Amino acid sequence: MFILEKINRSEALRYLGYKGSTPDERTLDILADCERSLLEAAVAKYLYRRFELSFNENGIEVCGTGINLTGKSISAHLDGCRSVVLMCATISSGVDRLIRRYQATDMTRAVITDALASAAIEQVCDVADEEINRRFPDEYKTWRFSPGYGDLPLDLQRDFLRVLNAQKMIGLTLGKSTILIPTKSVTALIGISKDELPKRKRGCAGCTMRATCKFRKAGERCV
Amino acid sequence: MFSKLLNEKEFILFDGGMGTMLQASGLEAGEIPELLTISNPKLITDIHKQYINAGSNVIYSCTFGANSYKLNGSGYTPQQVITAAIICARAAAKGTNTLVALDLGPIGRLMEPNGDMSFDDAYNYYKEQITAGNDADLIVFETMTDLSELKAAVLAAKENSNLPIVCTMTFEQNHRTFTGVSIGAMAVTLEGLGIDAIGVNCSLGPDDLPPIIDELVRWTNLPIVVKPNAGLPDPNSNTYSVGPDDFAKSIEKLIPYGVKIIGGCCGTTPQFIASTKAMLSDKKFVPRTPVSFSAVTSGESVVLIDRPRIIGERINPTGKKLFKEALKSHNIDYILTQGIEQVSAGADILDVNVGLPEIDEKEMMITVVKSLQGVTGVPLQIDTTEPDVLEAGLRVYNGKPIVNSVNGEEKSLSTVLPLVKKYGAAVVGLTLDENGIPKTAQGRFDIAKKIVECALKLGIERKDIYIDCLTLTASAEQEGVLETLNALERVKAELGVKTVLGVSNISFGLPNRELVNRTFLTMALQKGLDLPIINPNVEAMTGTVKAYNLLANIDKNSVEFISAYNNHTAASASAPQSSALNIEYAIEHGLKKEAAKATTELLATTEPMNIVNQKLIPALDKVGAGFEKGTIFLPQLIQAATAAQGCFDVIKQKLTSTSGTPVSRGKIILATVKGDIHDIGKNIVKVLLENYGYTVFDLGRDVPPEKVVETARENDIHFIGLSALMTTTLKSMEETIKLLHEQKIDCKTFVGGAVLTYDYAMKIGADYYCKDAKESVDAARDFFGE
Repeated sequence: MFILEKINRSEALRYLGYKGSTPDERTLDILADCERSLLEAAVAKYLYRRFELSFNENGIEVCGTGINLTGKSISAHLDGCRSVVLMCATISSGVDRLIRRYQATDMTRAVITDALASAAIEQVCDVADEEINRRFPDEYKTWRFSPGYGDLPLDLQRDFLRVLNAQKMIGLTLGKSTILIPTKSVTALIGISKDELPKRKRGCAGCTMRATCKFRKAGERCV
Repeated sequence: MFSKLLNEKEFILFDGGMGTMLQASGLEAGEIPELLTISNPKLITDIHKQYINAGSNVIYSCTFGANSYKLNGSGYTPQQVITAAIICARAAAKGTNTLVALDLGPIGRLMEPNGDMSFDDAYNYYKEQITAGNDADLIVFETMTDLSELKAAVLAAKENSNLPIVCTMTFEQNHRTFTGVSIGAMAVTLEGLGIDAIGVNCSLGPDDLPPIIDELVRWTNLPIVVKPNAGLPDPNSNTYSVGPDDFAKSIEKLIPYGVKIIGGCCGTTPQFIASTKAMLSDKKFVPRTPVSFSAVTSGESVVLIDRPRIIGERINPTGKKLFKEALKSHNIDYILTQGIEQVSAGADILDVNVGLPEIDEKEMMITVVKSLQGVTGVPLQIDTTEPDVLEAGLRVYNGKPIVNSVNGEEKSLSTVLPLVKKYGAAVVGLTLDENGIPKTAQGRFDIAKKIVECALKLGIERKDIYIDCLTLTASAEQEGVLETLNALERVKAELGVKTVLGVSNISFGLPNRELVNRTFLTMALQKGLDLPIINPNVEAMTGTVKAYNLLANIDKNSVEFISAYNNHTAASASAPQSSALNIEYAIEHGLKKEAAKATTELLATTEPMNIVNQKLIPALDKVGAGFEKGTIFLPQLIQAATAAQGCFDVIKQKLTSTSGTPVSRGKIILATVKGDIHDIGKNIVKVLLENYGYTVFDLGRDVPPEKVVETARENDIHFIGLSALMTTTLKSMEETIKLLHEQKIDCKTFVGGAVLTYDYAMKIGADYYCKDAKESVDAARDFFGE
């Protein structure tokens, strides 16, 4: 558990469709107010654990977990890696509740808080990322790759949560239709290698949202 | 047998970690430990034996996650695993006095409204486990974080076995569970439900527990259990930071709080139990001073009835056209807004009455209780005359509510009070009976006495009885006003119970009602009224309670009064602003109040529908066009729609007061499809459609196809919007459209959602694909032929 001190507003504005343009003052006031409420409601938590990898003809085995990673995207992503960090993060069901309350009373705030919360969970993942970097300082890491990216099955979220004991440790569960609950949550993996990894662009090619992504439509990228 | 242990033992020792022991013997991360009871029962029995040898009086069966959700796909049923696990535990306990506890943890899914597990789902999972484990000596629910899930579990245990029940929840450093449950809310609710011991386990190490136990003992008289982790885990190796001797030393510090039952959770082993036993050998249990207080709770927080607390009366259709309309069209958001508004205005508790002959009151009560609890943290008062509606509300309610109400009639006493007892609620007792409301204070006092005696006989405590001496209308029965107040005073002094009173009735038929209400409220407070039922949105009423608290020396140093009124300027002091704003400007700039004001002014000279068609819609269109061009962004679009709502509210009121016909440009169903709980997109569409004048039947999220079909048929609706955010739920969208077609519902559908494409929408048979909320308005206009 750690305290989020501020939220990346420009990222939230990007989610709201502001392509670099500045919102009107009224919207900025609401944004500031929503940020305050969100910071009060959010309890940021993350969890991670490192495992060795074993490559075989059926995919990549995460040793000691019963997880087998399959598909082209993950093979490319973990190429050259000997181990992997499984991680998950959440900003708690208090945030879902806040957004729900706004949805009943003030949709503007609901939409803005939703965007801020999406920015916030990314920040929490960045903090986890930094800690993982500090913990394994002399090795090379891939960027975060989540179930559902490319052809890596979304169902894997269930296994990640089970292996990390996520419900008990940070209160993160999976609902029907493989929805993470609390909803502002992430599961991901980071490949680790002793040797320098080839530069891989975190691009749109392998993204499941490619066809409908609003950033792509606007000629932008999400990362 | 458990009660014998409680009575005879100085301390009771539970066992330590099972998972920890299994991991030490090679269990892999993510493997299902409970299956070892079948594949390797000797290993499990051995671990139990080690704990018994270390001194455990009670061992937990290896069944923590043996529910049909977690075992799904394992090839085993809860019945098989639990039977095997109890056999393992019994084998270990054979020849000793050790008791076997059926150990049950959370199901693994989050409860509504945070998640998608309903109360009935949770109840059924636990019922299955409890029935399978009836050979145990007691039932333990541990590592719980959601009070509503735990309530379902406790009810499942009470209704399907006679075993004693122990509950432990898991708190974080902020003294709350992951879902926000406070220690007080847990203790008050569970003690009400009639469990046998309460406490905390897991999460924190023993060094972090003193402040938590210190708080817990203030809220309960039940025996206290502690079963902490061995300190904090290292996420990488899953090893824990505290050893057996330090663990025992830390536990020692908890003894002065009156802890009775001790064990260990993650990271603890038989050595931890042995060290703790050694430490306890020369210690005495410290008896606690009993606590007594009147309180009700939500899932998160406790409201102590130790001073006047305001019960908000607005969630009630009596005499309210718009509220009735909302109930009929299933407009839950309207009801939620009424709730949130009252809480912001100062309500401590909300009365919930959704009785209307035309609707299914039971289903509505369940929906409203759940929805309100999803957006506010104040306790609720369940207000109905129907026992089955009452019980349905009590079951799903998260926390300890108030029941409104029982009265002196035999039938009422014999149906309502047992429910109050079973669900651990507080109850409002009305001083009337078969003969009506007695005229005199003495008559009402006598009925109050009868109610109190009946309740006490059933085991309902005095602190949970709130008597209502009934307000009569001063204009009709002027002499009755003082009778009410005198009865209130006597009831409070002589029966020692709390008092409650609906205030607003007093002024019915009189001019300047607010003045009469406020004065009566002041008189009643002075006589000892604890729970005024008022409209908290009327500042004079809420203010009277605040001022009373100040003058009665309850609000110490006037802190609350000053913080409420420090920046207060009397309403009359601010000069009325003449509205230079027109409707168009107000909508374009998202100014709701100004938009409403401009509409009110315009209504003096213009027909309502002309305002809608000539001012409102064009203004919204202008904003919509900007949105399409990319010069106006989503938040502004919604603000404009919200401002338009200000206009519509005014117009609706005008129309309902004159002709009784609400303004509507057409009826539309909106639903987020089955399996999907992301409904923000659907709600944006709703705001826009409503403020273009359409009547929206919002079915909410996770909506089964059958419900859409049924609503369309019953309400004669021909335009249906479906939303899905996830690739995994697009399938449900397809199924919904398919069912609409199969059932020959004469309708067109419009669909939207993040992962949806035009091609896919056409493939599944939708009529309109809407890439954003604005396009759904375009679709509606096209459909309704404008």
